[in-house]
Amino acid sequence: MDDLQFRRSIYADPKSRDEAMQEAIDGDPTKQQFVRDIEALDDKLAQAMKVPVPDDLYDKLILRQTLDSHRQQKRKNRIQLAMAASVAFALGLTFNFMQYSTPYSTLGEYALAHVYHEEGKFSNDDQVRVSLAALNDKMATFNGSFEQGFGELISAQFCPFQGVKSLHLVFQGKSSPVTVLIVPNHEELEFIEDFNDENFNGKTLLMHDNNVIVIGDKNEPIEQWQEDIKDNVSWSI
Amino acid sequence: MIKKLFRNKSDRDQVSNNMATKQIRYEALVKALHTDLYRYAYWLCHDKQVAEDLVQETFLRAWRALDSLKDEKAAKSWLITILRRENARRFERKRLDMADYEEVTIADNQAVGSEQEIENHWLREKIAQLPEEYREPLVLQVIGGFSGDDIAKMLDLNKNTVMTRLFRARNQLKDALDNEPIQRGQYNG
Repeated sequence: MDDLQFRRSIYADPKSRDEAMQEAIDGDPTKQQFVRDIEALDDKLAQAMKVPVPDDLYDKLILRQTLDSHRQQKRKNRIQLAMAASVAFALGLTFNFMQYSTPYSTLGEYALAHVYHEEGKFSNDDQVRVSLAALNDKMATFNGSFEQGFGELISAQFCPFQGVKSLHLVFQGKSSPVTVLIVPNHEELEFIEDFNDENFNGKTLLMHDNNVIVIGDKNEPIEQWQEDIKDNVSWSI
Repeated sequence: MIKKLFRNKSDRDQVSNNMATKQIRYEALVKALHTDLYRYAYWLCHDKQVAEDLVQETFLRAWRALDSLKDEKAAKSWLITILRRENARRFERKRLDMADYEEVTIADNQAVGSEQEIENHWLREKIAQLPEEYREPLVLQVIGGFSGDDIAKMLDLNKNTVMTRLFRARNQLKDALDNEPIQRGQYNG
């Protein structure tokens, strides 16, 4: 190791010692002196660089951090609140959606479900009758009216049918009540002309933007009911 | 549901526990390193107030990012990296203050002092007059105790460059000391 290189190394890092350098130092008093000089210089430098640190710096640093984390906490709380609100909102939407959507895909399925739901509310022997005037009063909602009574009308009431205001009529049938539903046409449920299950038969007629659904038990001549309705009803507009 | 509530509660305990640990970690970090960091900042900017601001900003950022510090041994170089970035930002904000080393003066608030203090003061001026690219690695080596490799990594230089700069920095200071006026300090007292 030549002298220049040695000096450069010591200048660059007085504490660095590899074997070659240590050997060089050990064997040469001039080098030892040189190393001592530079080490002394470094001590002075270290001394000089240690500028006084403000006494309260530590406290200030802790204080700033405490204030900051307090602020962050508040921000976090706001975010949490916003998130909770969003979740509540989404739940509300879901609930609404479930409320007004059905597992039924066709008018027929829905109509049957409706009939089963109301089963037992009406009996074929009910003596209550609804007058033609009362019926037509309700039919006005659908821009229709019946010219004369047909069959024995036990009940006429509005029902929400898939969220749509519909008219639910119950007539006396041969062995059990016959249900007639008048449902304004809407796209969510697929139109189906004929449907049935083990207890009931049903047919749908599209009349003036209204689905007229007739449902009765297996003894009931559904076509006949449809004919009667067709003959009797008139639609305005 | 009840189970969930319980879990929430213990989660919260966990969180506040983590917060407490983080707090302790932070305080330990500040205690151990704020002195070195302040001195390093001071030698970067030569201004007590700016140095203090830099250190404050640095520790605030460190607090926010404390979770990303995995290795406590790396804490000092991590903080210095943050501080250097903060310092660079300062220049982006305010180009006017761009350092003109020549005029840098070290505040003389030690009119009355021991021989040692007078020498320190004199030496500080010499250090301040070093070009910044020489001074910075020197401060990191002497105050930070970093190796040439560490400094090279922090300053994003290669090691040979760092060693050359360290050599020149010491060389200049040694020359200055050797040519030190014998009369030094007398005008001060």
